[in-house]
Amino acid sequence: MLSIIVILPFISALFLGILYLSNPTKKRYKLYTLIGSGVPTVIAFISFGLFFKLFNGAPSLHEDLFNWIAIGDFEIPVAFTLDRLSSIMLVFISGIGALIHIYATGYMRDEEGYGKFFSYFNFFMGAMFLLILANNPIMMFIGWELVGLASYLLIGFYHQDHDNITAANKAFILNRVGDFGFIMGIALLFISLEGTAFTFDAIALNIHNIDLQTLTWIGILLFIGAMGKSAQIPLYVWLPDAMAGPTPVSALIHAATMVTAGVYMVARYSFLYVEIPQVGLFIAYIGAFSALFAAIIATYQSDIKKILAYSTMSQLGYMFIAVGLGAYSSGVFHVFTHAFFKALLFMGAGAVIIALHHEQNIFKMGGLKKQLPLVYVTMFVATLAISGIAPFAGFFSKDAILASAFASEHYLIWGIGSFTAFLTAFYMFRLLFTVFIAPASSENKLHSLPKSMTWPLVVLAIGSATAGFLGRNEAYGGENWMGHFLALPDMVIHLSHKSEYLLGGLNMLLGLSGMFLAYKMFAIKSEAPQERHFFNRLVINKFYVDTLYTRIFVQPLLLLSHLIANVIDPKLFDGIITTLSQGYLLVGRQFSRLQSGKVRLYAIQILVGISLMSYYMLFKLGVLG
Amino acid sequence: MSYLLTLIIFTPLFSAIILGLIQAQTRLLRAGAIVSSLITLCLTLLVLYHFDPAGGMQMVTFLPWIESSGMHYYVGVDALSLVILLLITILMPPLYLYMFKERRKGYWYNMMLLQTGVTGAVLSLDLVLFYLFWETMLLPIFIMIGKYGNGMRQYNAMKIVLMTILGSMTMLFSILYIGYVYFETYGHWSFALSDLTTLQFNAETSIWLSAGFLFAFVIKIPLVGFHTWMAPAYGSAPTPAVVILSAIMAKLGIYGIWRFGYGLFENTLTYYAPTIILLALIGLLYYAIRAITEENLRKMFAYSSGSHLSLIALGLFLENQYAWSGSLYFIATHALASAGIFFMIGLTYKHFKTVHISELGGIAQQAPLFTFFFAFFALSIAGLPGTGGFVAELLIIIGAFKYSIYVGVFSALSVLSAMIYIFWMLQRTLFGAPNEECPSYQDLNKRELLIVVPLVILLLITGLAPSLFTPLFEPYVQETLQLITTAVGVHP
Repeated sequence: MLSIIVILPFISALFLGILYLSNPTKKRYKLYTLIGSGVPTVIAFISFGLFFKLFNGAPSLHEDLFNWIAIGDFEIPVAFTLDRLSSIMLVFISGIGALIHIYATGYMRDEEGYGKFFSYFNFFMGAMFLLILANNPIMMFIGWELVGLASYLLIGFYHQDHDNITAANKAFILNRVGDFGFIMGIALLFISLEGTAFTFDAIALNIHNIDLQTLTWIGILLFIGAMGKSAQIPLYVWLPDAMAGPTPVSALIHAATMVTAGVYMVARYSFLYVEIPQVGLFIAYIGAFSALFAAIIATYQSDIKKILAYSTMSQLGYMFIAVGLGAYSSGVFHVFTHAFFKALLFMGAGAVIIALHHEQNIFKMGGLKKQLPLVYVTMFVATLAISGIAPFAGFFSKDAILASAFASEHYLIWGIGSFTAFLTAFYMFRLLFTVFIAPASSENKLHSLPKSMTWPLVVLAIGSATAGFLGRNEAYGGENWMGHFLALPDMVIHLSHKSEYLLGGLNMLLGLSGMFLAYKMFAIKSEAPQERHFFNRLVINKFYVDTLYTRIFVQPLLLLSHLIANVIDPKLFDGIITTLSQGYLLVGRQFSRLQSGKVRLYAIQILVGISLMSYYMLFKLGVLG
Repeated sequence: MSYLLTLIIFTPLFSAIILGLIQAQTRLLRAGAIVSSLITLCLTLLVLYHFDPAGGMQMVTFLPWIESSGMHYYVGVDALSLVILLLITILMPPLYLYMFKERRKGYWYNMMLLQTGVTGAVLSLDLVLFYLFWETMLLPIFIMIGKYGNGMRQYNAMKIVLMTILGSMTMLFSILYIGYVYFETYGHWSFALSDLTTLQFNAETSIWLSAGFLFAFVIKIPLVGFHTWMAPAYGSAPTPAVVILSAIMAKLGIYGIWRFGYGLFENTLTYYAPTIILLALIGLLYYAIRAITEENLRKMFAYSSGSHLSLIALGLFLENQYAWSGSLYFIATHALASAGIFFMIGLTYKHFKTVHISELGGIAQQAPLFTFFFAFFALSIAGLPGTGGFVAELLIIIGAFKYSIYVGVFSALSVLSAMIYIFWMLQRTLFGAPNEECPSYQDLNKRELLIVVPLVILLLITGLAPSLFTPLFEPYVQETLQLITTAVGVHP
């Protein structure tokens, strides 16, 4: 079953791709829709079935397909494992993935490359399933790279515009910078454990054989991969630009699934990270600063999708706080709830964008509450969820993360997290109020929305409202089902119910005050941010990080390339060779002078020659004795 | 079975001679060339079928040639040469298919001669015979560039020939000297590799003799510093010659070190290893950075080829199982990918009459099939998982980490280095708005598809199931490494 889940999307992607390439201009809407969205739907049902097996207490499932490679001790099978962690990932990725595929049939309906889109989209699903179901680091890495490829293809989907391709390149290259670390981590891990099997289970058993220093390096290197994939400081700059892709892509890849792969990876390697808590703390700080940084930028953005992109980065920061501090199941729980409300927010945004004929600036929208009531209500639910208002999903998962930070006495992280929670509520409600409540700047004639684009919103809204209950801890009348089910090596939290209520209350308060502030500032009348003073300008220009990167990485590299092309190659290397050949010519010319054709000169040459030879024979060889 | 190899070597040459004698018309010439390439392919598959991976050197033919001087017609095949032999014979039919409409007869004769040259070089086990073939393959390249090339074709043809011959001279000197040492030791002449490996040289002689060989091979690869012939030659050469240059001849440099370098001077090469590893690491990055701002697609992928061959050379000198398997695997997969990309560049030239990036753009909009294949080959050069290049790079990186962490870190940069120029190039050639000055583009036709589809399939199979291929060369790698480690252990 597991191999079907992984392979089927690849096959359908291949099929759709060949079909599309065989005649790119032909409209085959029904066929493409049937295969493109049908396959993920079927897989979603299979996944639910498998999940409920594990839910009812069945042990992990293993499936060995074939031997990928075997060289010495490097034996890598193509094998899949469905354990509790991957089953949680599988169930929401396949479920939400299927919904987004259905949504995309509406969103992409009139696009020229409809078949190509679904080919890429299915390809992505296959790669993502490979990533989460892989039972060894190499297979996971392959999935990890292939989701990056899918992301590249889909960001650059509208390839006629150079900016989109630039964004796609940026995404792929920054991801590869991360992968540079990731692959080193894997190679080091393999070399350190050479001679034992290289699957996650076997590595977990043998992890104690690695000395602490190497383990620290492995932990850091693997996390560099996560920085790229999950858009954390300093490798985050691709994510906002990645919004150049069609909105379903942003919803699926850059919100719900691929970008959370980094968090999943850390949770998957939790057996390794529990050994090196100092690296974990580093991860948590990176997460905290990314969360804050992104939230600050989000408060000044005007593009609806970019706000959501920064918000994604910020929420990913929370997840890294959790897994960094060792609260792995809280991190995965937030991945889970976040997938619902963030996918919903993106799909809602996509609906708005389509309705307004591809307008993305929120300050050119307004008053859409009446015209798009369903979108409004569902997005309201999602905004409440992300802002951490009880009892919506985000409250429980975010609360669990902040409680772990507080309980483990990392007050700086906790403080940053709490303040970011306030900012989150502020910028999210800023978006909501500006788009739906504030008076419209101009009268809009709306494009109608197909059903396939609206009812997935409802499903996700229900999820956003209720998903949090799966991880309620005792203070809120639950039993932290998620934590118990995942059974990851979590840190133990000692917090009285009273402090839990206090912390939860504080979070609610922060969320509500952010909401209130946004209402005051944007509900009645909303204006685009202007570059007024220094800080203001800094934030609107995203702290000039892109410019900085161009200056310190891109330009020197180009300069070096020019230097090689214009100086080192022609002057140094070719210079030496030309000098040699010139010298050869020169010597040849000198010799040619000897062959002048003048008899007298030849006579002298003969004379000198014979004299020298005679001298040599007489005095050196002693011919005359 | 032993006559198989001889047939494989000489079928193209004899076809050419016969076709030449009867003064065949272009159509007959074309048919003859294609048939001869298909025959060699079938024969090679037959060799593969009978090949025993654990059998060492097999299908050996050992016949006297110039007996008084100890030169023999001595050919045989083992896993190392089989891999390259397979590549040659697999690539020839698509090459001829690519040349299908070529009316200049010299093209066809040259390519047939070239095939005999490279095949002979790969299968020879007698040093003089090897030298003969090694030089034979240079001649058609010289003519292809000098006569049918473009740009400063005569200058560039001269440059590649002179620089390569400079290397060959030192190699010839080493070969003759080794033969002489054999004569001194045993009282009769021999240039057979199996005889010469029994010789023991003192350290100093060995350093000079191996330097003679290495010089020839690093120019052919080329490692950084020995490379200035490369970009001009690739830039000027017609596509079939470029494909052979990059896919086969560059690899023969690696092959030479592997077969003769490690066969004769395993101790000394271990002594040279740190230097060459450093040179290869520099080359890996140097070429990749150079390629970023290159405007000419052929030259860009010449540098790309240099960068990846540096990685292969690196793997070879790391002298461990992972790196060696990776290098050998990379020889095969890089040949397929680079042949593919040079075909696509050739097609670009056919349609647009230019290979300058700034004069291209927006092809994706007009020609989705072309775009797909172009991007596929480019990405497989960048080592995308799912294609064979990834497997090879991964193995070399693991081998590098086994050798030393620092070498590991630098070799891992290979996942980044190719990316930058490839993705930027893709953006400027394929995407964006179509270039106004480019004529409208007809997508690939059936014949062109027939050229590239087999390569795509091979690249995917090598990437998805490397275990199908690795058993072919694993015993060879293990056995040879065993020999080296014991040799190095015995004579430190």
